[in-house]
Amino acid sequence: MIRQQAEIELKRIFDFNHFYDEQWETIDLLLQGKRVLLIEKTGFGKSLCFQFPATQFDGITVVFSPLIALMRDQVRGLKEKGIDARFINSEQSTEENKQTIQDAIDGKVKILYIAPERQENQEWIEATRRMKLSMIVIDEAHTISVWGHDFRPAFRRIINLVKLLPNELPVLATTATATKRVQEDIERQLSGDITTIRGELIRDNFELHVIKVTSEDEKLLWLAENLNSIEGTGIIYSGTRVNTEIYSRWLDFLNIKSTEYNAGLDSATRKDIELGLMANKWKAVISTNALGMGIDKPDIRFIIHTQIPASPIHYYQEIGRAGRDGKPTKLILFYNCSKDEKGIEEDYKLPKSFIDSGRPNIKSYDKVIDALKQEALGERQIMKATNLKQTQVRVIKADLIEQGIAKEVIYGSAKKYEYQFNAPELDTKSFDLLREQKLEELDSMVSYVNLETSRMKFLCDYLGDSSYSSNNNCDNTTLSKYPLDSKETIKSELVRFRETYFPVLEVESRYSKLINGVASSYYGVSNVGKTLHRCKYENGGDFPDYLLKLTLKAFRKRYGQELFDFIVYVPETESGDLVKNFAEKISGILGIPISHNLVKIGKTRPQKQLKNWILKKDNVSNIFNYTNPVEIAGKNILLIDDIFDSGATIQEIGSLLTKAGANRIAPLVIARTVGGDI
Amino acid sequence: MERELSYWLALAHAPKVKTKTKNGIILRLFEKGNSIIDFFHSDCESWERDYHLSEAEVQIFNDAKSELSNYAFIVEDLLEQGYNIIPITSKDYPQTLKNNLGLTNAPPLIYAKGNLQILQEQSIAIVGSRAANKTSLEFTDNIAKKASKEFKVVVSGFAKGVDKKALDSALKYEGQSIIVLPQGMSTFKSGYKTYYKQIVEGNVLIVSVFHPKAPWSVQLAMARNPIIYGLASEIYVAESSDKGGTWSGVVNGLQKGRTIFVREPKSGEKNANGLLIAKGCTPVDEFGEQSIYESSESARLFVSEQKSKMKNNTNSQTSLF
Repeated sequence: MIRQQAEIELKRIFDFNHFYDEQWETIDLLLQGKRVLLIEKTGFGKSLCFQFPATQFDGITVVFSPLIALMRDQVRGLKEKGIDARFINSEQSTEENKQTIQDAIDGKVKILYIAPERQENQEWIEATRRMKLSMIVIDEAHTISVWGHDFRPAFRRIINLVKLLPNELPVLATTATATKRVQEDIERQLSGDITTIRGELIRDNFELHVIKVTSEDEKLLWLAENLNSIEGTGIIYSGTRVNTEIYSRWLDFLNIKSTEYNAGLDSATRKDIELGLMANKWKAVISTNALGMGIDKPDIRFIIHTQIPASPIHYYQEIGRAGRDGKPTKLILFYNCSKDEKGIEEDYKLPKSFIDSGRPNIKSYDKVIDALKQEALGERQIMKATNLKQTQVRVIKADLIEQGIAKEVIYGSAKKYEYQFNAPELDTKSFDLLREQKLEELDSMVSYVNLETSRMKFLCDYLGDSSYSSNNNCDNTTLSKYPLDSKETIKSELVRFRETYFPVLEVESRYSKLINGVASSYYGVSNVGKTLHRCKYENGGDFPDYLLKLTLKAFRKRYGQELFDFIVYVPETESGDLVKNFAEKISGILGIPISHNLVKIGKTRPQKQLKNWILKKDNVSNIFNYTNPVEIAGKNILLIDDIFDSGATIQEIGSLLTKAGANRIAPLVIARTVGGDI
Repeated sequence: MERELSYWLALAHAPKVKTKTKNGIILRLFEKGNSIIDFFHSDCESWERDYHLSEAEVQIFNDAKSELSNYAFIVEDLLEQGYNIIPITSKDYPQTLKNNLGLTNAPPLIYAKGNLQILQEQSIAIVGSRAANKTSLEFTDNIAKKASKEFKVVVSGFAKGVDKKALDSALKYEGQSIIVLPQGMSTFKSGYKTYYKQIVEGNVLIVSVFHPKAPWSVQLAMARNPIIYGLASEIYVAESSDKGGTWSGVVNGLQKGRTIFVREPKSGEKNANGLLIAKGCTPVDEFGEQSIYESSESARLFVSEQKSKMKNNTNSQTSLF
């Protein structure tokens, strides 16, 4: 097919008149059955490079994409053009996915989007035997490189697949962000016979700002004073889930429309938020970096980072989602440069801790290896056998598979991990190399913060595009820096917010009469955690009165005038009667009778010694008894504990009291932990 | 090599094409220094001219070619789950199998899981009825014990009776064992679980020559027997009736000129062991020793024959067969 013919088809199907030269170059190679790596900035039109040839092939084009939102958007767009596009992912029901697979086998699908994790699914593998495959596309291809900024183990299998595909099958890998090193890694992994097409990365409409602050409060204050004066709607990226919650509550408090988004939300909620973002429902969505990749919204007007990302590549990738319409767009990065007693800058700590905790220690690896030598185990079985956190088990297992020490094998419908005969020794050198690289990247991110020259030039250079030479559109060149002087009124608002903000305990389910409870504070975010630790483990005596006051405040905010029949507290722990004494004080102040009838009937290990929720759940299972269950029937109960961690204890007591006929069980605790930081 | 695997599956599982034809193609590629990829990317004319394929076979290979991408998905999944895919040109492919089955019958591709080194060891097959009597099972135990002591691998077919006994005994005496499956690799789930430790420790190797997804069937069980014989340097028959898998396997082996040891039946045993001896099998006692009326001279000859066979094995590495 020559370009002229192709552009006639392009007009007919997609209603565009012409291809860009780089688009046609890519398409031409694919039509010849070649392999191409396409590195182009967001908004270039990478998708057309596979969508168009897909319409020209006989069979089906399979697009591996990690981005569910993108799948949804693109499939909708293609369907509107009359192209048979579908997706298979966890958002659809099993039946819907099955039907899609059947349609693909029957030749009714032209373009099929699929999550890379699906390559682990036997039904899918089985189905691929009967499909007529014409092309394979790997979207967000930087994720196949461990040197990339978002390596995903599931993509390893896609690479293996591509290596095995026949020579004449066209393969396209696309990404918006790849350094030279990542580019070479992708080329190597997808086999040598690949053509790389690289475009320019500069985004002329970006206005880049860095705001250095000396406290977390300054970030909140700046937003209170400036967010409303920024045009349009946008995204605020914050480093942790807890922070998304805190920022979102603060904006609520200020009556600025916002919502929070993170990977912990269920898929229906996430979808709603994505749609709401498209419809400009909020001034800002506050999110971890889980949001935005692949969302096809042309007019995201600002992206604010409350924490620095892990590297300039991450930063470029994350801000790349904004301003696709080419209109002026603000990209603002906060950095708290106050130093702690060791001289380390506050905002350096979070990304550094991600690097430090990225890999479990070698002992943990050995634990898993030893367990797998005995028998094939599933993920949960490994957690039980090793007392490691789920996240750690996942990292270890991915590394063991990567190094050929273990394999993931399908047993019926379950996945198990098998140790391999003649497996190599664990290679820890590669871990060290990766860690060094990540530290270097983080330091480069800090360099961006401290930069005195053109910020866009810095990013382009870093990503291997040295074609950019002008110096404008940032706070170091043509734009003025944002001031940081907030009014006293706003400052006092923040104080008021701090005193009335209490974390929610999400324990509601249809299996019990528990309602979502409340904590007076996060464990690690304030000095509450330190106080609790002193009382519990350093013989510090009863919980001090300030905790009592704070907890009562939380109670009043959450439960207001609700009536309770009596208080039940979580009985005896290794720290003695602290909770009992605390509950008695609350009982006295609120005038709610206290019951001492909840007792422990077996031995438990301290929950904090158990590192994952499966063991925590097992530890407290059937361990409580209520000695006079008749008095519970139909009653509203306030359930008191000191620390809420996995929630397993509250859940266990909740289900016990529910069985005894309780009408409503409302948890009240002093502190809620963040990611098991106890 | 890994890049070729999808092509190997396409060749090996091309339906209705004789093994001899498939091996003929491989042999020709081998002699010319070409790879299987070259074969699949040649045109139909070349297939007819250079590989002497019939029109029907050309059609079949055209279909196979169009399924290469599909095979890539299967291969990726198998490798990911720790299965080995061993083409006949691989150094891991057992020389014994090639020697015993030759161009006509050696499978172009085998699948394996476990310690591949086992495929290169001296090996003994112990075969017999699924409903073998006590004496036969004791015989099986004795042979497995002897084999394990002599560091020979016991090959068996994972059926009830003699097969299962051979496997269990080999492991009991800390020997090594090959299980030849009557089904595809990915349908043997409970088996992997049962022998997990032995596989991990390198004492059991699972082998199959069928399509990985093929379920157990009588036909595959029958088709598997020649593979058991083919993988073994020595064959011992514990008990055979005058029909069925063991019988036809032994008769087939005799036709190929194999030496086959049969347990000499006790008087009153209702089986066809005596009949097999009459047909030319070598009788052995309950410990697998050749019966006393065999002269020591013939035993010596036999040993030297075995040795020269082994020598041939090592010499034949440079050619494919």
